[in-house]
Amino acid sequence: MIRPLALTLALAMAPLPALAHKVIGGAYADGALIEGEIGFSNGDMAADALVEVFDPAGTRLGETRTDGDGIFTYRPTAAVAHVFRADLGAGHVAEFTLSADEVAAILDSPAARAAAETGAAPGTGDETGAGNPSTFPLDRAPAGAASGALAAVPLVAAPGLSDTDKAEIARIVRDEMRPLRREIAAYRERNDLQSILGGIGYIAGLFGLGFYIAARRRLKG
Amino acid sequence: MHIVDGALAAPVVIGGAVLAVGGVARGLRDLTLEKIPAAGMLSASFFVASLIHVPIGPSSVHLILNGLAGLVLGWAAFPALFVGLLLQAVFFGFGGLTVLGVNTLNIALPAVIVHYLCRRGLARGTPRIAALWAGMGGALAIALTALGVGLALALSGEAFLPAARLVFLAHIPVMAVEGLLTAAAVYLAAQVKPDLFATVQGPQR
Repeated sequence: MIRPLALTLALAMAPLPALAHKVIGGAYADGALIEGEIGFSNGDMAADALVEVFDPAGTRLGETRTDGDGIFTYRPTAAVAHVFRADLGAGHVAEFTLSADEVAAILDSPAARAAAETGAAPGTGDETGAGNPSTFPLDRAPAGAASGALAAVPLVAAPGLSDTDKAEIARIVRDEMRPLRREIAAYRERNDLQSILGGIGYIAGLFGLGFYIAARRRLKG
Repeated sequence: MHIVDGALAAPVVIGGAVLAVGGVARGLRDLTLEKIPAAGMLSASFFVASLIHVPIGPSSVHLILNGLAGLVLGWAAFPALFVGLLLQAVFFGFGGLTVLGVNTLNIALPAVIVHYLCRRGLARGTPRIAALWAGMGGALAIALTALGVGLALALSGEAFLPAARLVFLAHIPVMAVEGLLTAAAVYLAAQVKPDLFATVQGPQR
C-alpha cells in the first residue's frame, strides 16, 4: 500500500524543474555608470536590495540599491577593481567584481568625462580630459547632469548619425542584451543530466574504493 | 539550505570546518564494511535529492534526506553527506568549498542526533511504529538543520531570530514532505528487509 504511494510521490515530484536556487549577479559598463543586476538563478530578481561597493582591499567605496527589477547603477570615482556585494538574507550573498581595467575604461569614456566636466563625478580630477570637443555624453541616467553637458559640449564628430542617435542606439542595444545576458546566466546555472550522472558516478566510485580498502583490511586482519 | 561562500564570518567558517573534520573522522571509524554500500546509496540519494525543488512563494526549497541517512548510518552519515555536499558544490555550485565544513555540520549533525533519538523506536516494534519514528526523525532532522543554518547566520552577525525564523518557516513544507518520505522509506525497508537496521548497526568492525 505504501509502495504505490511512494512511487506516486516520486513521480509527482519528478517533473518539477530542477532549479538551482543560487544568487547570481553581474556588473557591466553603462556609459559613465556601472550597471549591474542581482537575482536568483530561478529568474527572480532581487528587488530593493542594498548593494555595497568595496575595493579589493575591502575598503568601502559606497553603496547603492537595486530597483524593482534587481538592477542597480553605481558611479565609479576611482579606477580600482570594484567588488559588489549584496546580502539578500538567509545566507544568500551575491558578490562579483568589475576589474580595474573595466572601471578605468568607464572612467575614461566620453560620457564620464562629460559628466566630470559638469561636476557630477567628483574625485576624477585627473580624468577630466577637458579639451576634447568630439566627446558626447552617452550617459542617460542623471538627466539633469547629462542635459547640462549636452549644452556645454559642441557637436563636432558623428558623420551621419547624430550623437543623440548614438546614445539611443547604445541604450537600445543594452536593453536588448539584458534578457540575453539573463538567459546566459540561467543557462550557466542549469544542471544537466550529465553532471548529475557524473556526480552519482563519483559517489559510486568513491564508496567502491572505500569498500575495497575496508574489505582488504578485513581480509588481512 | 546550503549557505553560500562569503555569507559567513571567518571564525564561523573555520569553527564549522574543524567540527566537521572531527565528525567525518568519527564517522569514518564507524563506516564498517556493512555500512559502506548503504552509505554510498544514501550519499547518492542526498546528492540527487537537492535537485528536487519544492516551490513555496517566491523562493523554493529542496529535499535534503539527512534524516534518512542519519537513521540508517548514525555517525557514518557524516562522511556520506560530506561526499554528497562536496560533489554538489563542485558540480552544481550549491554552497561552496569554503563553507563546506559549516554545511556538513548543519546537515550531518542533525542526522546523528536523530539517529540516537530514534534508533530504539526503529529497532523494535512493528513496521508501522518504525515508520512513525522515522517520520518524526525525518522532520526533526530538517528542523535541526534549519536551526543550525539560522545559528550560523546569527554568529556571523545577522540577527538570530529573524534569520532563523525565515529559514525555519521556509522549511516547514520540507519537514512535512521529508517526514512522509522518510517514514515511507523506513516502512518499506521494515517490510522488505527488516534486518536492514540491525545489519547496518550490527557488529562493530
